[in-house]
Amino acid sequence: MTPFTRHVKLIVGVFFGLAVCANGAQAPQHIDVKQLSTTVEDVVVPLPNEIFGALNKLGPVNWKEHVRSDKGPNFTERPRIALLLGTVIADGFIAVQAEDAPTVKEIGQRVLTLAKGIGVGNSITPHAKAIIDGADKRKWENVRQELDRTQNSVQQAMNEVHDEKLSQLVSLGGWLRGTEVLTSVVNEHFSADGAELLHQPDLLSYFQTRLQAMPEFNLPIIHQIQDALVEVKPLIDVGDRRIPAASVKKVNEITTRLGHGIVVRD
Amino acid sequence: MNLLAKVLFRYGSPLLALVALQPAIFATVDDAQSFALQAAEPYVKQGFQVREDYWGGDLGSGEKKAVRQQLFKGNEYWFWLGTEVDRAKVSVHVYDSDGKLAEESDGWQKGHFAAAHVIPKATGSYFIIVSVEESPEERTHWALVYGFR
Repeated sequence: MTPFTRHVKLIVGVFFGLAVCANGAQAPQHIDVKQLSTTVEDVVVPLPNEIFGALNKLGPVNWKEHVRSDKGPNFTERPRIALLLGTVIADGFIAVQAEDAPTVKEIGQRVLTLAKGIGVGNSITPHAKAIIDGADKRKWENVRQELDRTQNSVQQAMNEVHDEKLSQLVSLGGWLRGTEVLTSVVNEHFSADGAELLHQPDLLSYFQTRLQAMPEFNLPIIHQIQDALVEVKPLIDVGDRRIPAASVKKVNEITTRLGHGIVVRD
Repeated sequence: MNLLAKVLFRYGSPLLALVALQPAIFATVDDAQSFALQAAEPYVKQGFQVREDYWGGDLGSGEKKAVRQQLFKGNEYWFWLGTEVDRAKVSVHVYDSDGKLAEESDGWQKGHFAAAHVIPKATGSYFIIVSVEESPEERTHWALVYGFR
């Protein structure tokens, strides 16, 4: 090999080596998702206001129409309290969207009562006070953050005493109420982009799996939710196709029925 | 020699060593979360609401973890990854459900912090891939937080 050829080979080698290093530092443009065997099982369930935020960007929403502040009965069954707590926190986010201070304050109080009902009141007291204080001062960003903290503190307190299943029911209650309001808004003024917000099949599967692992919670409302999720799945698991208005209406009917079941006594 | 002096003489060195090693032994995912939240701090001023909930765990050098997350079209998201191991190098990237890179080009990686920015083109499931690329530790705690606006 002549010195010149060797020199050229060296330069070419260094060039390709550098190219590979640079490429190695960058993320690949494609990955094979089927080979992702190390997926963390627990998903972070989106907050209702994550969906409401996206909905707001599609056009004005009359949030006052969706505010709900009825106190409802006091349950003694812990799974029912957990479901209701998730729903009430979601109602808090709706009241914040509507900037309805009296309702937010009532909800702050209600959250505290429900948290006490499942034995995690202590961790919620400061958040409930902050929610009420934020509503008084109309600091809506603070209230949103406190609602998130409330849900997180409730769930952490439950997890610490190995009540993970109740913690999952809090998330489920919030998701159901969020979906009820989402479908109600989109149903009133249908748009394909609004309907697309319902495209949450993996989240639905996550809740189905979690509910299947709760045979000890043998309550009519739990069975009703399980049956309802089976009904909802084909309506929102549509792949690349659009979710039609009829499906939005149907999901709204189902989630409204469940929402009623969660807040009233059997 | 009194009893206290004897105890200190006999056990002082191991106790000192334990105190010195304490950060390495007792470091937790919560410490990693503090770093992830530190990375998120400047974005709060830009209107991002950072979730209280987070993912966390530990990984060896070169190991990856994928987490699945529901994202909504219309929202804008940042994911921040942190570890307490300051000589570690971590990365975070986001892919859509077909495995196509879905992040904006302004994501960044600075030693034991990394961030990815996503403006979803469609509502659905996304994969967030976290990785410990290099670390002096056998296992490195990581925590991932996210914010949206």
